[in-house]
Amino acid sequence: MERRTAMTRSMVVLVFIAIAMVVSPAVNSLPTGIGGDNIQSQGCNCHNTLPSSNVIPSLAGLPEEYNVSTTYTLTISFSGGPAEGGVNSGGFNLWASDGDFSVVDATVQARSPTELTHTEAGNDYRSWTIEWTSPDHGRNVDFILHVNSVNGDGANTGGIDEWNRLDVTVAGSAGAGLEAADAFKVLGTLIMISLVLLTVTILYGFYRTNPDNFTWDYLAPWITGWLTSTDHKRIGTLYFVQGLFFLGVGGIMAMMIRVQLAGPDTGFISQDQYNQFFTLHGTTMIFLAAMPLIAGFANWIVPLQIGAPDLALPRINALSFWLQPFAALLIFTGVFSGEGADTGWTGYAPYVVSAGAHRGVTFWVAGQIMLVASSTLTGINFLTTIAVMRAKGMGWMQMPLFTWSILVANVMLFLSIPAFGIGLIQVFLDRTISTAFYDMAAGGDPLLWSHLFWYFGHPEVYVVIVPAFGVISEVIATSARRSIFGYRSMVYAMAGIGLLSFIVYGHHMFTSGMSPTLRFVTMLTTMLVAVPTGIKIFNWLKTMHGGSLVYRTHTLWALGFLVTFTLGGISGMYFPAIAMDLHLHETYFVVAHFHYVLVGGTVFGMFAAIYYWYPKMTGRMLDERLGTLHFLIGFISYNGIFWPMHRLGVVGMPRRTHTYFITTDDFTSLPEWAADWNLFISVSAFIFFFSNLILVANMLTSLVRGQKAPADPWGGWSFEWMVSSPPPTPSFDWNNLPELRDANEHIANEPTRMGAWFNRLMVPDQEEEASN
Amino acid sequence: MSVVTPLYDSLWNEFVLWSALVGAFTFGWLYHHTYNYRSKDGVDDNVDNLEVGVFPAHYDSLKLEVAWTVVPFILIVYLTFIAWAPIDNLWSSSDDGWFGNECVAGESSNLMINADSSFTADCYHILEITGFQWDWDFDCLELDADLCSQGLTTIEGNDKKLLNLKQGEVYLAEMTSEDVIHAPWFVSMGIKEDIMPSQVTKQWLIADEVEDFLLLCTEYCGDNHAYMIAGISVHA
Repeated sequence: MERRTAMTRSMVVLVFIAIAMVVSPAVNSLPTGIGGDNIQSQGCNCHNTLPSSNVIPSLAGLPEEYNVSTTYTLTISFSGGPAEGGVNSGGFNLWASDGDFSVVDATVQARSPTELTHTEAGNDYRSWTIEWTSPDHGRNVDFILHVNSVNGDGANTGGIDEWNRLDVTVAGSAGAGLEAADAFKVLGTLIMISLVLLTVTILYGFYRTNPDNFTWDYLAPWITGWLTSTDHKRIGTLYFVQGLFFLGVGGIMAMMIRVQLAGPDTGFISQDQYNQFFTLHGTTMIFLAAMPLIAGFANWIVPLQIGAPDLALPRINALSFWLQPFAALLIFTGVFSGEGADTGWTGYAPYVVSAGAHRGVTFWVAGQIMLVASSTLTGINFLTTIAVMRAKGMGWMQMPLFTWSILVANVMLFLSIPAFGIGLIQVFLDRTISTAFYDMAAGGDPLLWSHLFWYFGHPEVYVVIVPAFGVISEVIATSARRSIFGYRSMVYAMAGIGLLSFIVYGHHMFTSGMSPTLRFVTMLTTMLVAVPTGIKIFNWLKTMHGGSLVYRTHTLWALGFLVTFTLGGISGMYFPAIAMDLHLHETYFVVAHFHYVLVGGTVFGMFAAIYYWYPKMTGRMLDERLGTLHFLIGFISYNGIFWPMHRLGVVGMPRRTHTYFITTDDFTSLPEWAADWNLFISVSAFIFFFSNLILVANMLTSLVRGQKAPADPWGGWSFEWMVSSPPPTPSFDWNNLPELRDANEHIANEPTRMGAWFNRLMVPDQEEEASN
Repeated sequence: MSVVTPLYDSLWNEFVLWSALVGAFTFGWLYHHTYNYRSKDGVDDNVDNLEVGVFPAHYDSLKLEVAWTVVPFILIVYLTFIAWAPIDNLWSSSDDGWFGNECVAGESSNLMINADSSFTADCYHILEITGFQWDWDFDCLELDADLCSQGLTTIEGNDKKLLNLKQGEVYLAEMTSEDVIHAPWFVSMGIKEDIMPSQVTKQWLIADEVEDFLLLCTEYCGDNHAYMIAGISVHA
């Protein structure tokens, strides 16, 4: 007993250390001055490292207090320096915290609206004239002027070239005003708030375990119980909480991206930060949100559906999960240091190993290697469980479709993720011990990474969509009170998608410079994906025929899925047509397409799953009115975000760019309405983001006040509806496992062709016993 | 005037037509079934007698399932077929292909648009494009200044490179990169191709319309990726 107390205490200490590890860098090390070209904070590198008082900069023409939206003519000049009186080449950099500079002659060029420098033609001057238009808010504006004074010999012989800096603040009528927020501080603060809310929720969860007789004494054993549990339901819940948390974090990053893109060049986040935001948004959403949500449901539901008391390898299962939060910590470590990964989730070589890429890329790669390990272990576990632990009477072709989808997804993941792991390890070695897998000078090949990545990357996107197919099959059939139409063709279609996923990845590389023959072959195979996908959609529609469709929240999300996934599938057909892809590749048309299938597909599927299985998982019903409200707001605002992006892509808006260019008199680019639609998208994005808080509120309030759920609230047939809500632990009695009956008795007793083939691979039970 | 290029537009229109038909069919069906087969108030019809612990009775029809395997397959074959031909034009051989061979000095390409929206020409000119973090270099090689010239222009207040081309001419851009992967997107020409260090990729530039447009980088390449732009000016 004493040992147990000591152990639980040390577990609590470990938890606090882990929390401190997450929290402390966010407080102390939030970045200052990111990016190489922020002269205002990083200083000048003007021929010498230290400023010299011999050079006297001057900025004339500024008033004591400026009038709003007024244009002032300013004169930049300097005196002193090494060639006083002689031919003197000077240069300058002028930065202002606000307002707009404009250039009046060819001696000056703009680096941005708030930063000017001399041109090559203006390099022989000691004075330059420019114009500055004051901002309209009336707050104080800071100016930082750097000038350098050189003797003009083109070389800094003897280190005699000199420079100096001048800081001027011009008062505005509104005073200092509030300091503009740094994007990383905003992100850090929002993540902190989310963590605090999560902690409060967890503590409240603890309180609810025994509200009548509450005592803190049980906190340590309670937390230890969760940390050391190998029960598939608890691990499922942990995955689920992690997935939802990172869905929120990824969403916050998406909102900041949308603020930046609300207008052309809004300057809300710097380009350097923007690059990190879209990289981490992608990585977070795919690996830390979608995959854990799917793993959460797979953990919860697969053993229940096949009548197994737990997974085959419960400890491996716990290990799979616990790799995840630490991998997440590694992936985000770069952000806390101010140099998060900035490579895009695809991490193309050779940029990913180049000196220009951020230091955080190494951590990002290390974190993903841990995720590869986690996914591999999960794959082994589910394949084993589904192969050997099905209840008596459940042949391969009597498995519920959600279980089938998890089987297909794990086969795909298990066969594809080693390629990704190899690529990541190569990149990691290149970045840490200077191997040369992707070093061009040493004969490395950047296309190798593209091949390894997409060999995994394309199956990966099916890995996250196929489980949603499984959910939708369950929800539509149960809601329509029918058997799923074409159970067998559903299984074959999923298996077909799984097979095709390995031979289509070349369509991500239509513009890559790889062999045109190979590109053409993958064009043909990619077009084929539409066939099994079409079969699934038509089967779902036909399932409702003659049924009695009960409208519940999960039904709404499933129908919403049918709409958005069909649209995403149709837009997907434009890419394999290479002649169109050469234009559409890497544009917002692509962004629209994959959000239609990944949000409209995977996330909507997961929402349906939450509404469908929440009563089973918690024993409480969710509020249907809140659910319907969530669906209506979410579905409309979701389409408001991604539908206009199709058009933006076609008219020329590239993805992964910090700004976009509107047509001017000189050059054709995006039409003017593109900016209006971007604003519309940003507003819709915020509505969609906040609509999901309705779901969170619904889950939390229902946990306390929801109606008690019966064992089978929706009238489903599979085993998970046989056990109580919430299910006992172990989920089924080892000595009294359920047995599946089959309404199609005449075929249930004959193994199917596939079953017979698989049975030949297995050691028969009797033989095993005999050899013992 | 075409939205992107005549060839792109014709393919796009065909795909949009089929998308609309497939969408109308699917959503019509969805609307009909979700409305017609909704449950009636207070009635819980367990149509297929679903029962916990019993695998439900099969509900299928081989004819229908084969139908919606075969019909979409035929549509796919057709779409693949119509998407196939333009590739030949876009990725034409530089050796006596759609655009002939390299022009001798003083020769004009004599660009023509065919009835099927493809382009043909008598001959083409070669120029070089190099990408690096975060700018472009154009090299017109031996070409006349009227056919091709490189210069500077101002885009949104910044000095950017400019490539001048002549309407009615066809150019073969031989492209490479000095550091990481970039991808020049000639937006108004509807084409892009990755460029890689120590590898030359080729791209046809078909100057069919008088227009000044932007060249954008569409393969993420680091800090200033969004501003790695240049001007392309096609003059008469």
